[in-house]
Amino acid sequence: MSGRVRTRVDRGTGEVVAYSDAAVRNNFAVIEYCRTSMAALSGATAGMLGLTGLYGFLFFLLAGLVLWLMLLLKAGSKWQQYFVSRQSLLTSGLFSGLFTYILCWTFLYGMVHVY
Amino acid sequence: MAVVWARLAFLAGIISLFHAGYSAAQHRAYMRITEQEYTSLPTDIGVQGLMSLLLTMYGILHIAGDFKEIRANVQLQNKSWETVGNRPTFYTFAHRGRALSPNYIPPKSKSLLDNIENISS
Repeated sequence: MSGRVRTRVDRGTGEVVAYSDAAVRNNFAVIEYCRTSMAALSGATAGMLGLTGLYGFLFFLLAGLVLWLMLLLKAGSKWQQYFVSRQSLLTSGLFSGLFTYILCWTFLYGMVHVY
Repeated sequence: MAVVWARLAFLAGIISLFHAGYSAAQHRAYMRITEQEYTSLPTDIGVQGLMSLLLTMYGILHIAGDFKEIRANVQLQNKSWETVGNRPTFYTFAHRGRALSPNYIPPKSKSLLDNIENISS
């Protein structure tokens, strides 16, 4: 056990739960790594498939949803050990990968379909 | 061992994704040369692209590392008081328990030392 400890009151039972700061940051770093990779790879796939316009953004949202499901699959049934909430896992930082996505999307679209 | 499989999956996914992209470019060039109208990619290239994306993401998910337990008190819960209350600076080795040892030689008492001093002086 190293680092600081943050506490948060559980809304259901009203008891105080202490979270290890280092572990929370480690999990966040793992999720961020996956999210960036997913943005780059799904952008490459979207460009390769030749998606244009809103279909590309729909594909981005779909990729985010798939990544969420895969993260939950990785965490398994005991996800409460690793995350405070599942909803924030889906939504937090979803749009930070959008620019990476658009970069790879347009690059691969140009490489495959234009030139 | 699991990481090796994840790395293999990642590598295979990247290669397959590259191959699908190359196939798409070839298809596009073929359509241009034969002067046909391009409508959409063949289904097999699209399916290969999506499948390789999933395979690569599976690899990355395991390469990225493991999650850690975030509740701070779980590791402390199964520890005894002897482990938690351990204070090495307060260890005492020269305590009276050594008198119970069969090899224990009691030190000379003060009155004995006084007697020796009296005799010599």
